[in-house]
Amino acid sequence: MALLNPNFAEEMEPFTEDTALACFNCGTCTAICPLIYEHFPRKMIRYIQIGAKDRILENAQELWRCLHCGLCTQTCPREANPGEIILGLKRFVVANWRRS
Amino acid sequence: MVDENKDKEKTSKRKVGVYICYCGGNISDHVDVEKVRERVEKQPEVAVVRTNVFMCSDPGQEMIMEDLKNGTIDRVVVASCAPSLHETTFRGAISRAGGNPYIYEHANIREQVSWVHHGDKATDKATRLVSMAAAKAEQLKPLESIRVEARKHATVIGGGIAGLRAAKDLADRGIKVVLLEKSPFLGGQLANLDRIAPTGDKAAELVSDLAGQVLNDDSITVHTCSAVENFEGYVGNFKLGVKKQPPEMDQEKIKQLGAKDEAVGEFIPFAGIYNGAMPSVPEEFTVETGVIILATGFKSYMPYKGEYGFGEYEQVVTLPELIRSMAENKAAGNLMEYNGRKIRSMAMIHCVGSRQIPGIHPENEGGYLNEYCSRTCCSAALNSSNIIRTSYPGTRIFEFYRDIRTYGRGQEELYEDAARNQVVFLRFDDDASPKVARNTSHSGDFPLTVKVKDTLTFGEDVEAPVDLVVLVTGVEPNNVSDLVEMMKLPVGTDRFLLEVHPKLRPVELPISGILLAGTCQAPMDVGEACNAAGAAAVKAAALLGRGYVELDPFVALVDLEKCKGTGDCVEACLSDGALNIVEIELDGQTVKRAQVTPALCLGCGACVGVCPENAIEVAGWTLKQYEAMVDRIVAQEVAA
Repeated sequence: MALLNPNFAEEMEPFTEDTALACFNCGTCTAICPLIYEHFPRKMIRYIQIGAKDRILENAQELWRCLHCGLCTQTCPREANPGEIILGLKRFVVANWRRS
Repeated sequence: MVDENKDKEKTSKRKVGVYICYCGGNISDHVDVEKVRERVEKQPEVAVVRTNVFMCSDPGQEMIMEDLKNGTIDRVVVASCAPSLHETTFRGAISRAGGNPYIYEHANIREQVSWVHHGDKATDKATRLVSMAAAKAEQLKPLESIRVEARKHATVIGGGIAGLRAAKDLADRGIKVVLLEKSPFLGGQLANLDRIAPTGDKAAELVSDLAGQVLNDDSITVHTCSAVENFEGYVGNFKLGVKKQPPEMDQEKIKQLGAKDEAVGEFIPFAGIYNGAMPSVPEEFTVETGVIILATGFKSYMPYKGEYGFGEYEQVVTLPELIRSMAENKAAGNLMEYNGRKIRSMAMIHCVGSRQIPGIHPENEGGYLNEYCSRTCCSAALNSSNIIRTSYPGTRIFEFYRDIRTYGRGQEELYEDAARNQVVFLRFDDDASPKVARNTSHSGDFPLTVKVKDTLTFGEDVEAPVDLVVLVTGVEPNNVSDLVEMMKLPVGTDRFLLEVHPKLRPVELPISGILLAGTCQAPMDVGEACNAAGAAAVKAAALLGRGYVELDPFVALVDLEKCKGTGDCVEACLSDGALNIVEIELDGQTVKRAQVTPALCLGCGACVGVCPENAIEVAGWTLKQYEAMVDRIVAQEVAA
């Protein structure tokens, strides 16, 4: 059971632009991603939307597969900027990893 | 039947023209049309048989008109598609050629033959159907359509936005209108709202504007606290018995009036426009009217106790309750307040009381499920969410939905805005509704949690801690079973009133002169309800415009010579008032005879079947015509 955290957006604020909630879960980013890895990066963005911090930290290693090719950002129909969100998530994970 | 002997002389001279259509291959691919022509030509009454690729085309119709004009034929049979498509086309062609439109018989050899049979069998069946029609056509008599005087007066039942719109539109056409409203207020359910999606119009202004126009119009008489108790008559000549009495409903709204009792014409929030003093004693009156527009509206779905915790937790409320609370507490701040409590996070649960599925959702007390989409609630919910997120940025919103259906102009943008306003969406499957429970485990100071298997999080179970749960309730039709019973109105399986045809005749009922406006027919938003009301008003005005109404002449006729006044027909009659036993003078004696009121007769023939004297018939469908058809259909030589 993942617990929704309505204030997670504020926690993310120092690390990235606040665009995750613009995403409407269409999956274009996942379809275009050359990693072809499960639901990357869509799943990560969904975890930000609902504030599932534990899930993000549990699956943090996925973030370092990203090549930062930018295809997801180019094709996102909602201009949610998934590429930038993944970068921000890396910064967030590093910050939280040091703390724990 | 009346002039049997004279008829026989005439029939021997009758000339039936038969016109068989290829329907561009639709018929001729399976029916050998030319063979049918050869066979039908041999029938004694047939003067000429012609074929055409499309009989409904101008050249096809002109062929028929030419034969009529030059006297080759005096009865017409067209064999083509179903009569529902082109019967009126060919009757019209006969009229244009100067003939009586009722000397026409139709044989359906497409839906009933070529689409369902093939080869020789198809050709044989087509031959029999066409010959049968020709045999009947020989017996047809010219008929005159029934003309009834129409009172240039309309009655609108229901004083919501649709009723007000219809009344005003009719008055603008110069028609006198009576508007009947059961409650003491005008404005209907719209008066219970605040800002209307997607434009943000104030409901109070919409209602005040239109109700003001209605109340100031001399052609419109408004009766509030009034309900229809009696109904009789027919198109152009309805009579309604109306009872005006002290209101039993809306006691809470009446209390709101308080000292404002004198505030006639003023908008009372969440009640409507008050239309003057309420009667202290019941009074009854009669309205004589030409058409009736039903604008009986809807009611908001009320969740049952325990549905998503409704009635169990005080923090579970309906969307209409939220809308009212928001309208009445406009204080700015970081967090919205509800009932004096600050709301840090709230859940909206969509499709409550709508799109219910047999086997998944429980039936209500009456054994009904609301299987329809209520159409307006997604937009209403998103509209409220957007207002909350922009007015109270600290209040977080989770929307639990099955599908977002913000159809229509300017409404998709509400979803866009909600995303921009950081509303979080969670989607659940039909059979996995969210569960509302008391919060026991997590961050203790949120009173409730909403748990759901969220398909957007790839089927993971997620749980939202919330201060408030809002049930996005749908709409249900108002209970108008008394009107349904009185006027014999058709009702759909969804319990809304049912139009004749959803696309081609969307505001008409099969009962001529009674029309539909607004949400008594289906869930609609304000604009759609006004559209429907305008359409109903135009239909009503067109009906009354000529001062008379023409009806098909296929009604019962009594042979006064044969009738013995047994009254069997009156008992069998399905339409109240269509048949009566009256005393008339016949050869100097007073005798009892059956009498038909043509405008009320349905032409069903129930009376024909029970008459022991064979003294009653339905024009255009006489027993003799049936006999001719049956004789022909069993004749061996027809398809030989």
